[in-house]
Amino acid sequence: MLSLLGGVFLGWSLGANDASNIFGTAVSSKMIRFRTAALLGAVFVILGALFSGQAGIETLKGLTSFDLSQAVISSVAAALTVTLMTLLGLPVSTSQAVVGAILGIGVLNNQLNFPGLGKVVLCWFGTPVGGALIAVLLYRAMAVVYNRLPLTLFDSDRLLRAGLVVSGSYGAYALGANNVANVTAVFVGAGMITVSAAALIGGGSIALGIVTFSRPVMETVGKRLVTLDPFSALVVSLSLALTIHFYTLMGVPVSSSQAVIGSVLGIGIVKGSNTVSQKTLKRILLAWFLTPVVACFISLAITVASRLKYISPLAS
Amino acid sequence: MFRFLFRKESQVESLIYDYLENFHLTQENFRKAIGACILNHHCEEFDFFIEQTHKYESRADDIIDEINNLMYGKVLIPDSRGDIMNLLQALDKIPQLLERVLFIIKYQRIVIPEALLPDVRDLVRISLESCDLLAKQVRLFLKKKTGARALVTTIDINESHCDHIERQLISTIFDSGMDPFLKLQLKDLVINMGEISDQTDRVSRQVNILIMKRRV
Repeated sequence: MLSLLGGVFLGWSLGANDASNIFGTAVSSKMIRFRTAALLGAVFVILGALFSGQAGIETLKGLTSFDLSQAVISSVAAALTVTLMTLLGLPVSTSQAVVGAILGIGVLNNQLNFPGLGKVVLCWFGTPVGGALIAVLLYRAMAVVYNRLPLTLFDSDRLLRAGLVVSGSYGAYALGANNVANVTAVFVGAGMITVSAAALIGGGSIALGIVTFSRPVMETVGKRLVTLDPFSALVVSLSLALTIHFYTLMGVPVSSSQAVIGSVLGIGIVKGSNTVSQKTLKRILLAWFLTPVVACFISLAITVASRLKYISPLAS
Repeated sequence: MFRFLFRKESQVESLIYDYLENFHLTQENFRKAIGACILNHHCEEFDFFIEQTHKYESRADDIIDEINNLMYGKVLIPDSRGDIMNLLQALDKIPQLLERVLFIIKYQRIVIPEALLPDVRDLVRISLESCDLLAKQVRLFLKKKTGARALVTTIDINESHCDHIERQLISTIFDSGMDPFLKLQLKDLVINMGEISDQTDRVSRQVNILIMKRRV
């Protein structure tokens, strides 16, 4: 079971980082308390992983067939990539890191499932675009309804706060359902655990990351990304949840960071303003390209080193 | 429904309406004090209404402090919090101005000359009418009812009218053969009276911006 620790670590870092995409804007601008966000996030991530996480696990498991040693290598390579990119200050996607790491091992062993891989990469393009499109449509539709509602300032305030809690919980559910595959799918592929156990362990480790270490990330990332008005923040939160849920139904793990950035760009399109700066966009594109490539090379390097006996077998 | 989840918000809402009620009472006492002062500035009635105006002005400060304390306890989303705090701070300058005008008359022992009385009465009447309209505009804004933006125009017209009266009064003061020191005192009084409609106009514009800002 010790081999699973790599996956749990990856899940923990995923929870600590990606919870900021779900609740970051609301928490950093004090619209929701961190405690409320963390509790809701943890509960709904686990529920999402348990009830809707199987499809993603099946997709990632099907990308290649790993033994236990390769599963551990891919987890460690992905975790190292996430850490490295975070240190470089780039917006990292755990999904891309995991797929990149799986690819590295798959290339070396000639075990690649190209149709499955094509579907995943296509969805990588679709995540920010989908996020932007959904945000544009949602903003326009919700604005029509919102402006017609006979709400007092206080009613409007209550509605926005309740909306942020509901959409954040939905986002956490979608995140758990979608990203649990990144954490434990390789272990299912290696025949170590069942899909249900993978969903429970993966969901639990993401929830642990949210509860124990997401606060600083939520508070900084939410502010660093962009300052949104409350209505736009609600649209972004809902659009993010819908985007991730859509890809969950397709069975493809995607990046919540890319979905949130796409959604914020969508708000910029509607409002005719630059919600994300050119510099941030360049960094996002750079990270988008680098993450899978770096993960692929790290997993290749660990596999080669392991075969040449430079390092002892990672799992036995 | 679910109002029990937002108990503090409801408290703030109720305090804002208390503040507006208190704002009205401050105005009423100011109106009576000026009326009494014009008839006889040494009368007990004038002192009584000054006291009352001061009492309601202090009560306004207490209500604002209470609202601020709740706000610092993270009631409302930051956007609404900032909007309401700024609005109340701007609005609260009006009771302060009303009190200041009365104190100037009382402590500088100013007697408004007969020749200035009609214009002074007009200036006070129009300024207080603007205050009433402003309170109505704030209520409409809080309740998101139509008509709040239309009041901006009326308040603006009143402000221009008050400016005109203010200039006319200052001109009359300096055309007269009064003691130069009294002229300066009266000029200071008229400027402070004129400031009431100026501040009302500023707050009214602020409310208008908040109304536009809340549309998405």
